[in-house]
Amino acid sequence: MIQHLETDGVPTLLAPTGGPMRAGLTFRVGTADETLARHGITHLLEHLVLAPLGSADYHFNGATGPTFTTFHMQGSAPDIATFITSVCANLTDLPTGRLEVEKDILRTEWSSRGSAAIDDIPLWRHGARDHGLSSYPEWGLARLTAEDLRQWAARWFTRENAVLWIAGDRVPEGLRLELPTGTRQPVPTASSALPTTPAYFVHGSRAVILDAVVRRRTAAGIFAEVLERELFRALRQDAGLSYTISSGYEPRGDGQAHLRALADALAEKQDAVLGGFIDVLAKLRVGRIEQSDLDAAVAKRIDVYSTAEADAARLPAYALNLLTGEPNHTIDEHLALLKAVTLADLHEVAHETYASALLMVPEGTRADWAGFTAAPTSSQSSVSGTTYHARDDNSRLLVGTEGVSLVRPNSILTVTYADCAAMLAWPDGARQLIGHDALVLHIEPTLFDLRPAATNVIDSGVPADRQIMLPPRSPEEIPQSGAVRQAHEHLNRPKRPGWETLLITISGLAALVVGGFTLLLTIGLLIEPTAEEDVAVLWGAVVVGWLLTVILALPVVLLTRGRRR
Amino acid sequence: MILAMPAPPAPPVLDAAAAYPQVAAARGALAAGDWPALRTLVEDQDAHGRTTLVSEIGGAPHAEAFLPKAFAEQPDDPVAAAMLGAHLIIAGWRIRTGSRAQDVSREQFVQFFDHLRRAEQILIEATARHPQDAAAWTQRVTSARGLELGQSEARRRYDRLAAGHPHHLPAQSSLLQQLCPKWSGSWEKAYAFAWECADAAPAGAPNAVLIVEAHLEQAFDHDSLAAGRAFLRTPQVRSAIHDAAQRSVWHREFRHDWGWVEVRSTFALAFCLMHEWTSAAQQFAALGDLGAESMFGYFGDPAEEFQRFRKKAYAKGGRP
Repeated sequence: MIQHLETDGVPTLLAPTGGPMRAGLTFRVGTADETLARHGITHLLEHLVLAPLGSADYHFNGATGPTFTTFHMQGSAPDIATFITSVCANLTDLPTGRLEVEKDILRTEWSSRGSAAIDDIPLWRHGARDHGLSSYPEWGLARLTAEDLRQWAARWFTRENAVLWIAGDRVPEGLRLELPTGTRQPVPTASSALPTTPAYFVHGSRAVILDAVVRRRTAAGIFAEVLERELFRALRQDAGLSYTISSGYEPRGDGQAHLRALADALAEKQDAVLGGFIDVLAKLRVGRIEQSDLDAAVAKRIDVYSTAEADAARLPAYALNLLTGEPNHTIDEHLALLKAVTLADLHEVAHETYASALLMVPEGTRADWAGFTAAPTSSQSSVSGTTYHARDDNSRLLVGTEGVSLVRPNSILTVTYADCAAMLAWPDGARQLIGHDALVLHIEPTLFDLRPAATNVIDSGVPADRQIMLPPRSPEEIPQSGAVRQAHEHLNRPKRPGWETLLITISGLAALVVGGFTLLLTIGLLIEPTAEEDVAVLWGAVVVGWLLTVILALPVVLLTRGRRR
Repeated sequence: MILAMPAPPAPPVLDAAAAYPQVAAARGALAAGDWPALRTLVEDQDAHGRTTLVSEIGGAPHAEAFLPKAFAEQPDDPVAAAMLGAHLIIAGWRIRTGSRAQDVSREQFVQFFDHLRRAEQILIEATARHPQDAAAWTQRVTSARGLELGQSEARRRYDRLAAGHPHHLPAQSSLLQQLCPKWSGSWEKAYAFAWECADAAPAGAPNAVLIVEAHLEQAFDHDSLAAGRAFLRTPQVRSAIHDAAQRSVWHREFRHDWGWVEVRSTFALAFCLMHEWTSAAQQFAALGDLGAESMFGYFGDPAEEFQRFRKKAYAKGGRP
């Protein structure tokens, strides 16, 4: 049983546990509430709140997700009371002394985290906004001020936007939730960067990933498990094409859920993994779903609900439902829902999965043949503006008052200033405009015949609060046009050693003398009548002469050619 | 005394309908728009027969008007789906033509891929509903090649088919094409697959013809016909083709079942090119008036070339 209590006006959930006491304070705010230009603000706030508590030997942590931020701890009742009370105190009166240090820590955290193939999915589905932001680096950090963070805390980290949950026998004595008053914040509407689904995009990693958006319900969670079992059988057990098969089901907080599945692939088997994956989806879509898979998936979930810790374990998820206004059920209700799932329910989820699918396919493959539409990688139209030509190829940059377009022979990339989620700016003049649709337009002054005026037009077009200044780049990081590259290479070419020059001169002169003589002799023989007996001897001399010329000229040829390589 | 001259052989008939009466019956049902009759006819055949009828009807003159309607009326039916899939693949390939990729125009490729994508989506559903359907899987081995989905995907499709039909020659022939260098394969892979199929097949089965097909493909890949012929006459190739014949057309268990005309025609062509005229004449004689296009089209009009080779084989190898 999960008890519903209230602490200082904050809904409080209490469930028994046989283990140590655990508690969490969860707020309905996350990266999906940010903008690209301020991306990282929630995470930075979470760090600043916890930083002053770092010296104690506690098991505590914070977590920032797309729609939730949680501070949690495991320990004795007094320690938990102190922790939660301190978190609230820090949220109300934010300690900003460590602002720059924590920014550096976050940058390190980002650069040291391994990038997973799945990280790019949100960006392709949602674009450079709301639910898509978790794909992006925390570019907002640099601009964020202490005042920005205080305002963010006051808006989102309020009494009305929080839930406290405790696995234990009571609310610890002395635990206070001194939070500002505010309003419960709804989950942001999920944008879409996909004009049609099912869609696909190509990614360099050796895996096929499915992302689908389905109505949240018990059958959908079961379907994820059934899908994994089918993929495991088809791709690993039967065909030996994949090693890792996994699936996931994650409610989004707005009545929908993300359903994901992944199958990795050996380099030479990637096309077969894609084909096998598509066939598994087709099998489920036509309704050939195994009753044994349904039974196994349901049994697995029932096991989870049957442990004594079941209520304590589901407290975080329960808290999220409370914050988003989605229904919560008792364990008995969950068991009843699980047992009621039918093959027909799964068949319905299979249709929804296919209809909303976004498939990530390996480099060198595509999925249009299976009815998936390529996710957009270019724009429909270009802006009008001043034309700047590329130094190397025949692409053109159009810089106007509405936005910028990069026009290549087969594609157009346009980012309008109004639709620009953020612009990265380097001191060397390079600019990168990221549209809300996640299209990226990169401008290198070294590659385009760009005048400073053009950069000024762009800089004044993009709203100042969306411009992100980045540190200077080392010369190797700045791309060069072909002409500049060749000039550099010419300058860098090592000098010819003296002995080589001498050898080339001598052999060149010798070849010239012998060759000249032989040439004269050949011409003479061809035009002057010569006595029969002399002819053979003279022609012999001609042959020897030419051979000698070639041998003498050889060092010249070899040395000069060797240098050019 | 006047020596009796044998009557000159009748011109060969390369039409499958002459070799297999079921093809003629199926075409009749198609022309009459009689889906139940066509459906029953296909149902009554073994897997090889069903695949053959599906391809034959897919390429038949009335297919374009009839098959989309038949499929729309029974979208769950494996025969309707496989036939429409086959029809789209054949129609697409007619647009592409059999030319090398560099000789096919951009517009031809666009239409070719469009046809194949439409076929593929019908066949994905058909094989999902009926995973044991050899005819639909065979079409998918071919569409994988045309769509350039890759070696391992084509192989995966064949393996799915082979799980239920381990000796399905039409699909094996199709995959063999994919394994040749012209479709990004290699001769090693092509030969390995041909021998793998021949070794696995029962005695007297036609599958060893794949060994001949692989060698003919490599012979035609030579710069000149003379070089191709010389390749076929090397002792190793000669021995491999004799081995293949011993397993199939020379085996006492070899039956005149589905595909026999194609198999004998291929052997006949190989023997001609190897200048083994007696062996070639034996195959032509066993075929009687029948024949199959096989790879005779490489030299020109298949029917004329078939007749020319047959005449030469009879003249040099004697008419048994």
